[in-house]
Amino acid sequence: MVKKRVGALEKVDADLPNLQYKIRRDPKSYTEDFLNQYGQYQSQRDIFMVSPSTATSTGIISFRDLIDFVAHVSDCFPEDTAEFPEDLKTIITRHHAELESELREKIVGSLCLLRKKEIIDSSSLLDTLFPILVSTPSKTLRTLLFQKILSDLRASNSKHTNHRMNRTMQNALFNLLTSDRTSQKGIWAVKITRELWKRQIWTDAKAVEIMKEASLADNEKVIGGGVRFFLGGDKEREETLEDDSSDEEIDIGKLKHQGLINKKSRKKKKSLDDAVKKVRKNEKKKNQPHQLNFSALHLLHDPQGFAETLFQKHLQNGKSKLNLEQKLLVLQLVSRLVGLHKLTVISLYSYFIKYLTPRQPSVTSFLASLAQATHNLVPPDALEPLVQKIANEFVSEASASEVASAGLNAIREICVRQPLAMSDTLLQDLVMYRKSKDKGTVMAAKGLLSLYREVGADLLKKRDRGKTASMGLKSGSIKERRFGEEDAGGIEGLELLEEWKAEERKRKRAERGLPSDAGSDEEGDDEEDEEAGWAKWDAESDASSDSGGWINVESDDDINISDSDDEKPAPKKVKFEIPAEDGDEKENANKNLEQKISNLATTKILTPADLAKLQELRLQADLNKAMGPKSKSARQKELAARHTDDGLTAEQIEGLSKFRKSTKEEMVALAREGKGDRSEHKSTQSLRRAKKDAEGKSTTNKEKARKKNFLMTLGKAKYKQKRSLTQTKRVLQGHIERSKRGGKRGNVGM
Amino acid sequence: MGSSVRKKREKKKDFQKPKLKVGKTKAKADNFTDTSFKSKAIVVNQQSLSTTAPSSSSQFSHYLSLASSSKSDSQRRDALSYLTTQIASKPVNDPMPLPTAILLPKLLPLILDGSSSVRSQVLRLFRLLSPSDIGDRVEQALLYTRAGMTHLAAEIRVDALAVLEWLLEVAKDDVVTCPGGWVKTLKTFMSMMGWAVSSSSSKWTSASKVSFGKAGKAFPRQLLVLAQFLKAGLIETDTEPTIGKDSGLFPLCDVARHMIPQRSNAFAHLNLFGSSRDEEGEMYIDREDRQRVFQRRFQSAVAIGVANAKKEAGEAGRSASVLSKVLLEGMADYESVDDTQ
Repeated sequence: MVKKRVGALEKVDADLPNLQYKIRRDPKSYTEDFLNQYGQYQSQRDIFMVSPSTATSTGIISFRDLIDFVAHVSDCFPEDTAEFPEDLKTIITRHHAELESELREKIVGSLCLLRKKEIIDSSSLLDTLFPILVSTPSKTLRTLLFQKILSDLRASNSKHTNHRMNRTMQNALFNLLTSDRTSQKGIWAVKITRELWKRQIWTDAKAVEIMKEASLADNEKVIGGGVRFFLGGDKEREETLEDDSSDEEIDIGKLKHQGLINKKSRKKKKSLDDAVKKVRKNEKKKNQPHQLNFSALHLLHDPQGFAETLFQKHLQNGKSKLNLEQKLLVLQLVSRLVGLHKLTVISLYSYFIKYLTPRQPSVTSFLASLAQATHNLVPPDALEPLVQKIANEFVSEASASEVASAGLNAIREICVRQPLAMSDTLLQDLVMYRKSKDKGTVMAAKGLLSLYREVGADLLKKRDRGKTASMGLKSGSIKERRFGEEDAGGIEGLELLEEWKAEERKRKRAERGLPSDAGSDEEGDDEEDEEAGWAKWDAESDASSDSGGWINVESDDDINISDSDDEKPAPKKVKFEIPAEDGDEKENANKNLEQKISNLATTKILTPADLAKLQELRLQADLNKAMGPKSKSARQKELAARHTDDGLTAEQIEGLSKFRKSTKEEMVALAREGKGDRSEHKSTQSLRRAKKDAEGKSTTNKEKARKKNFLMTLGKAKYKQKRSLTQTKRVLQGHIERSKRGGKRGNVGM
Repeated sequence: MGSSVRKKREKKKDFQKPKLKVGKTKAKADNFTDTSFKSKAIVVNQQSLSTTAPSSSSQFSHYLSLASSSKSDSQRRDALSYLTTQIASKPVNDPMPLPTAILLPKLLPLILDGSSSVRSQVLRLFRLLSPSDIGDRVEQALLYTRAGMTHLAAEIRVDALAVLEWLLEVAKDDVVTCPGGWVKTLKTFMSMMGWAVSSSSSKWTSASKVSFGKAGKAFPRQLLVLAQFLKAGLIETDTEPTIGKDSGLFPLCDVARHMIPQRSNAFAHLNLFGSSRDEEGEMYIDREDRQRVFQRRFQSAVAIGVANAKKEAGEAGRSASVLSKVLLEGMADYESVDDTQ
């Protein structure tokens, strides 16, 4: 209605977009027009400031449009509009609650525009927007502000990490959380941090610290946000990373081909150029070194303290107002922390006791958390009553099969991580369930059995031990693990490196025509090798200033051990290469190899070339392992290490049998399984045809024949009946001939 | 036997409850008497609608709200003309139906109204308001007037000048002394007439191709209003009635100065409660202050503008000479003070 009143003459002046366009092209000539508009803006602003709530935008041009206009051209007149950003800031900060929504959004948008034009810097923008985000009652404004703040943070971190701004923002968020722990406003800190974590803009410990504070807050929502971040934030990050990389592959070849065929226009050419540019950019991104990202759980300072406070504040505390679901989340986090960092929170285990009954809602989650919280440094005394309780409550003849299998699975998961938590009578009792009728229970019991064959065969009855275990026990090669005992650490793949070195040496000898097993001038070779290794390293690291530093660090006499006075391993290695004639010798060699492992690392300093080779060999070995069958111990190790990457879930405890009713979606998915996707009910033939059409493939001869017009076939059919015998014969012979040749044209090329 | 059954049934009938149904009208009672009647005409001998009809004051406020917020311009104009007639036709000594303090804030935005008839009507209405009430509200009125003077539409600019003229007639002193009244209004004049100087000092002289500005007929009028404004601000009024009044009561001199001030917010220039004002928003109470600011910021631009306008003969030239006369008179006794403060 307002627009209708603009007369034809006025239109020329009132057309702000037009004026804006003109000003952008030639700011100098239109200075006075701009000043007029700016004056108008100022007077409107004064009117507005007198009564912000009642001022309505009457008249031809509203205040909103004027703000928009000034914001768009303010970069052309920096001196005249010096106070414009400040005006906007004061308006939005003071009156954001009572402004009409459109004007409010326009002001926020204009501020962001000014930031984009670099008239104001992003810290001042964030200083303005963030307090409003936290305090405004309007939902639409909050979403708008959240989006703007995020995009601004992303933009200012796009080229390189803007550490200063990140730090101030993180401090603001941290203060928001710590200043008032009961308020719900902290949820914004959680949201912003999570989003930025997901997009890999914030990957440092400070962001994790914010989330830590959030999970220690007093407000349920904030706690939930913080805890969920630790449980799922990293996975989310990985997923978005994958999404980004696989968003759309552009087929340049296809585009170029299209360019040859289709009509040539400037637009098409431009789109091709864009595509090429994008592909180049993607390639460049792919070639960039993969940035190292630690998971949030690893970036925590003082995980022990964090786990303890979480546990005491939210779980042990009788006054905490969390419901069961939230408590489970917190419990998951605590147990995850305990398992991952091998923390000691003894009271956690006794906390579990009252929840370990089949009647407890979502008991499998509790079981999973318990298993997750177990590691090899947990005293078996703390775990034993728990295992006993699970066995008593869950695993009995009277209990339902799924209950029993869940209990057995849980016990197994606990014992994988701490085998000492089991007593022999209980184990023998539990293993008997492998004779049960239910498949889930049988599998769970068998799993427990096979686990103890490897980690504690002496707890089993003799006939359950299996061949290898009983032989190992007899020969003494399998020893009982003591509490707290750790494997002596080694360098992974070192034996492979040694093997490879021996082989190399042998090859060189062969080249020189020397006998392959002589040890006399080995030293020379070795030294040469080493020289070469270091030389290469030096050449590579010339650019870096502190290259030489770490060579001198080890001042032991080990350094000169590389002169092979006492280097016995070498000849033995060679021997190992020769295929052993009988098993005994091979075993010997194996034993020797084990000893050697420690030798190589302690007697020599590995050159960078060695390290590179080591990495290569390791990768190769991994590949081989992945291809071939896994050894039992490897499987064991994998099982134990699983929770470092992913937490244990309730589903894994449930195993085969379902502990709860399946939801409708699951049932539908089960019914759909294997049926392929069939959107409409059509014959298989037509579906196949449609698929081929979509792929651009042609029809088969059969299909062509089937589709042939009836009238066209009529003549042949009539003629067929009138053929003479010779004609028929010729036709039949021709058919045989053709089938032999393989069609009319024949498969001559074959 | 049979008859007894019938009798029983009949007896029962007397005590049967009528069934009530939802949504149906209640059955009429047995002893219901129909009192309705039909007639050719009904004559009411006294007609009084005062219980429901709006009183004149509520009607007045209704029209006021119509005038300030109606979407259609004809409705606004009609409402305004109703208000005008109401105010004009009231007996001289009667109070206004609504005080000016309520009327003015509602009516001021109409200075920027799109329809010219509304604007002229509102000006007519303004002229009916009592001058003494305007003085305190000049600041607010000036806000809208200035917005009108820089407005995009030429007609609104002209009408805003008329409003400023009215303000100068009614409350000359208040216009030039109120916060922002002097410098901001002068700035508005400058930009309206195309004499404005951009704060960015460009070395290029730009031929003023302002799309509005000295557009045609309005220019002489602008010059005249500016002359009036400058006259109000720069030239001392000779009337000093206070001395004459006080001389009668001999021992008491300057009583009025020691009384409770008659104006509202008499110490506004101290700005005790508001946010701090900058140079533009400051109050310039003394004539000397005004002269100083004018000399520093505007005089050169105005002088050039007047000189140019004088060269245009005709009406513009004549009004320019009026303006220059005012300038001469106003700045005659000004000796440039050091501007260090």
